[in-house]
Amino acid sequence: MTPVTEDNHSSQLQSQTDTTGTDDAPVGPYKSTLPGPLGTIDNAISRLESVMLAAGVLLMAVNTIANVVGRFVFQSSIFFSEELNRVLIIVITFAGISYAARHGRHIRMTAIFDTLPSRPRKVLMILISFVTAVFMFGLAWYASQYLMTQAGRGRLLPALQVPVWWTLVWVPFGFFMTGLQYLLTAIKNMIEPDIYLSTSVLEGYDDNEREV
Amino acid sequence: MGITIFSIMVVLLLLGFPMMIPLIVGAFVGFYTLFGGFGQLETMVQQMMAGIRPASLIAVPMFIFAADIMTRGQSAGRLIDMVMSFVGHLKGGLAVSTAAACTMFGAVSGSTQATVVAVGSPLRPRMLKAGYKDSFVLALIVNSSDIAFLIPPSIGMIIYGVVSNTSIAELFIAGIGPGLLILTLFSIYSVIYAYRNNVPTEEKATWGERTRAVRQALWPLGFPAIIIGGIYGGIFSPTEAAAACVLYAVFLEMIVFREIDMAGIYETAKSTGLITAVVFILVAAGAAFSWVISFAQIPQAVLSGIGIDGMGPIGVLFVISIAFFIGCMFVDPIVVILVLVPIFAPVVKSVGLDPVLVGTLITLQVAIGSATPPFGCDIFTAIAVFKRPYLDVIRGTPPFIVMLLSVSVALIFFPQIALFLRDLAFAK
Repeated sequence: MTPVTEDNHSSQLQSQTDTTGTDDAPVGPYKSTLPGPLGTIDNAISRLESVMLAAGVLLMAVNTIANVVGRFVFQSSIFFSEELNRVLIIVITFAGISYAARHGRHIRMTAIFDTLPSRPRKVLMILISFVTAVFMFGLAWYASQYLMTQAGRGRLLPALQVPVWWTLVWVPFGFFMTGLQYLLTAIKNMIEPDIYLSTSVLEGYDDNEREV
Repeated sequence: MGITIFSIMVVLLLLGFPMMIPLIVGAFVGFYTLFGGFGQLETMVQQMMAGIRPASLIAVPMFIFAADIMTRGQSAGRLIDMVMSFVGHLKGGLAVSTAAACTMFGAVSGSTQATVVAVGSPLRPRMLKAGYKDSFVLALIVNSSDIAFLIPPSIGMIIYGVVSNTSIAELFIAGIGPGLLILTLFSIYSVIYAYRNNVPTEEKATWGERTRAVRQALWPLGFPAIIIGGIYGGIFSPTEAAAACVLYAVFLEMIVFREIDMAGIYETAKSTGLITAVVFILVAAGAAFSWVISFAQIPQAVLSGIGIDGMGPIGVLFVISIAFFIGCMFVDPIVVILVLVPIFAPVVKSVGLDPVLVGTLITLQVAIGSATPPFGCDIFTAIAVFKRPYLDVIRGTPPFIVMLLSVSVALIFFPQIALFLRDLAFAK
């Protein structure tokens, strides 16, 4: 099998929802572009997000399997199994959208974008990053409102007996971090000569031999 | 309002915005106009959260995880060897093997792209060496991989099932019939191609070699047994079957084949988590979008605008097929399902169509669209994996598209192709 490298993978470049990781390049370490202590915090959040992704998926598998085993071997399902999966999918999704933004992995329809000369492409990339950031910040705001409403109601998850709003804490935070990444990408594209897909991923078409 | 929203979405999409943005902006605009301001945007967040709530969606990350563990290991190779040992020596045998191996790998993984990588990568060099033209080989691999979309498990079917509230188990079994029909057509075409171009045949395997190949493939054949046997035997829900596949994949590749270690599993889990997030934010945004357009009764307006009310079931199926086929030529399959399924939902209900038949047809159209120029997504996977230019990848496509489209027409007139097995399994 062809080994996947930074050059030959293209999962996020075209109009396709990725349904496999086998054609993706390995995710490199993330280096924050923020200065000083902010950068240190950003790097720590990035590491935390990657742990949340992997642990979330592994826990989800273990939880679902344990539930089946419980039902067949011990004749009783795990009472909180479905609730736990529901919490895990929220954690994975909202830790992941920010992580995906850091590594330029959100899917886009780039067929037209790619045919543009580099100058307008750069301007368009700044516009895309900036508008995306605005909507992410907007969603972060409304998600935090939603979180407040839920906290005000004080409902508990029926099986786990945990306040519902606890499970939603990462939602506004995930939107905010995603917005921040896109904002930084817009700024990076303004100050650097090259075109960046995210703060850490340089657009890879020019040094590639693909004739799309 | 509908026209404004759709135009904004198409423009954002074509400009190259991240795919979630057209959906989110569409929902924003919908909520803003419908409720006269930003007052109800909390409801939008609430609808997004409701979108990723269904327990059946957990099957998506689980199947991706299982397939990615498998693709990194030996399973694909073993399945290919088994198929080759039986049909490799026939005229066109190598091509038939490729199509059959794609189908079998489809029963292990729910992803067309994983199939292009896992089956296409090892088989393309062998076919080229045997004397097949590259245009034929690439088109065969790209289009055969679409069979994987119809054979259970199928990620597209899970999303359709959740969005349209249809039984995923029934959808899974309904996909088998059309999948096998496509395999048959592709095989016939491959044999004709081999005769016309006089491609030399491979050496015939002895029965000893065949037995060995089957024994080698027994382990990966456990996947379809878990998925199909488990779901129809009433042991697993589709989500549990997916989790069982993860356990089985870890067991095979870590303990039996020793291809992957703990660190490898962790890395695979991380990459699965990343892919899941990218898909699920689309599902969330799609849920908010479809909530608002349904609330504004836009689907009814759009559909009566094209005069769907007087068309009858066959007419509706044709309109659905065409809409999905065109949609998938440009946009990603999952996004097309998220946007179009809620639009057609009212008419499917009022005409009294079987949602399982509609789902199978949609999955087929989505698969065809993904392999169709200009922007079908599998074409780009093939470009990336095989490093061939765009035109080379699509040159051999037309005969395959004709075959696939004839299957979808057949499916419209003979729904039993899909529903026969479903009715048998669920005793309807």
